[in-house]
Amino acid sequence: MSSVDRSQRSNSTLKTLNRVFVYTILIVSSLMMLIPFAWSVITSLKSNENVFTHSAFWLQFPPDFSAYKEIWNRIPLLKYTANTLKVAVIVTFGQLFTSSLAGFAFAKMKFPGRDKLFVIYLATMMVPGVVLLIPNFVIMRTIGAIDTHWALILSAVGSVYGTFLMRQFFLSFPSELEDAAKLDGCNPFMFYWHVLLPNAKPILTTQGLMAFQFIWNDFQWPLIVLNSESKRTLQLGLSYLMSEYYTDWTLLMAASVLTLLPIIILFFIAQKNFIQSFKLSGLKG
Amino acid sequence: MKKNRERSPRVSLLAKNKIREALWGYLFISPNFLIVLIFTILPVFFSSYMSMTDWNILSKPNFIGLENYQHILQDEVARETFFNTFYFSVLSVPVSLILSLLFAVFLNQKIKGIAFFRTAYYIPCISASVAVSLMFMWLLANNGLINQMLTSFGLGPVKWLTDPKIALNSVIGITIWKGLGVNIVIFLAALQDIPPELVEAASIDGANRVQQFFKVTLPLLSPVIFFVTITGVINSFQSFDLVYNMTKGGPGHATTLIGYYIWKQAFDYLHMGYGAALANLVFFAIFILTIIQWILRKRWVYSEE
Repeated sequence: MSSVDRSQRSNSTLKTLNRVFVYTILIVSSLMMLIPFAWSVITSLKSNENVFTHSAFWLQFPPDFSAYKEIWNRIPLLKYTANTLKVAVIVTFGQLFTSSLAGFAFAKMKFPGRDKLFVIYLATMMVPGVVLLIPNFVIMRTIGAIDTHWALILSAVGSVYGTFLMRQFFLSFPSELEDAAKLDGCNPFMFYWHVLLPNAKPILTTQGLMAFQFIWNDFQWPLIVLNSESKRTLQLGLSYLMSEYYTDWTLLMAASVLTLLPIIILFFIAQKNFIQSFKLSGLKG
Repeated sequence: MKKNRERSPRVSLLAKNKIREALWGYLFISPNFLIVLIFTILPVFFSSYMSMTDWNILSKPNFIGLENYQHILQDEVARETFFNTFYFSVLSVPVSLILSLLFAVFLNQKIKGIAFFRTAYYIPCISASVAVSLMFMWLLANNGLINQMLTSFGLGPVKWLTDPKIALNSVIGITIWKGLGVNIVIFLAALQDIPPELVEAASIDGANRVQQFFKVTLPLLSPVIFFVTITGVINSFQSFDLVYNMTKGGPGHATTLIGYYIWKQAFDYLHMGYGAALANLVFFAIFILTIIQWILRKRWVYSEE
């Protein structure tokens, strides 16, 4: 009796210890994830001269917003945001349109060579982006798209991965609906537009967010194809700002916070879709 | 006779419908396919051709056969770059894997505040790499937060990004920090797919928590672990943004990874042909890795839902 009691008690202490251990690790690690952001925000709200004269642990109160005002004098932030937004919106909707059409055809329509074509699609998924940089630069140069936003848009409005996701989704779509629509005299496009798309909202949202976030954060490709200051995207603008105002940390942190904010807000609005998109990236291989 | 006469128009109607459906099918695929053909499929072949030329944008390309590939063997910076990339993979992939698996296992328990922890891990993944580079440059600066903390403990300021012995490790650390969340999601999804009966059965058989994990959970996760490993290696072959913004490959070539070196050769020195040869080498390595992954995945028969 007493031995059982003791083992139960030691079991429960073990459990408590385990809890404490798990929580400690989770709290410490999640703080490590968040501190860089918090530190950036704190720095961005200090006056420039205080960053160097005071220790890092010193907090300025009341906060100084002058860095956030100063950015607008240093770079055309509004222009960069408009450029980024324009490209991101066009790519997102373009990609959703082309890949949902193709995904529907691969999932539900019958035509010669369909499955062979799909195998080619799957095979292209293992082509790494780094191989495409040089030939795509040459293609963009040949068609005169260098230093225009076309270079960012054209190569991104079609997506193999998006098509793959859409096909997976449409495969489980009931065929009876399609047959009924056919009897009603619906052509495939009308069916796609009026029946399929409205029912595919979850996957469209997830893929749309993936595309939008990718374009918003993309750095290397814009760096390669854009030259003029007026064409820059936010990420390019931020990178050039850094090379010009190196060590002006309040300014640089304020700019970083501003470029991060839209995606972080989007993340909080559509957290489920974002997490779904992380999960789907597990299907990519 | 009568029957045949009745059937033939019907058959031709059916055939017509089939042709019509096929035409719709091609029409639906064509916008996406054209983009993929022009910007993904053809470039693969084009890149192979370019790797056999000495093209530098300014003059016309000459065909030089495998000279670029021979040059890679003699290029000492390339050798250093390969070594750096190898070191980068060997360190970043396992550490990221172990950490993300650990956090996923913790998050999979019934825990309060799980939404907070998850959000904390995911936010770095959605953050742009340029802003992340800037944040860490400030964090790791001589008078930055980390060095001030170290100094207050009596440890000297560490040159995180400018000491050739440390810089690459700093880049690796930041890469792990940024990518952890995606791996956690993938592991968490895989953990939730494990039927609880299996773990219960093991605990009835007297296995303790640790044994349950190593004998039941881990083998079931092996395909996912393998997937995360391969993707991690592929990503480290393409790593660019952090290096470009934080160190420009320096000090010396200490943080020059293959993804950065390809860009440097092609778009800084304008050695397009040589850059293409380096890129093709990376492609070849990734190709082999992907094939291995496909073969092993088939053997594991891992369902994708």
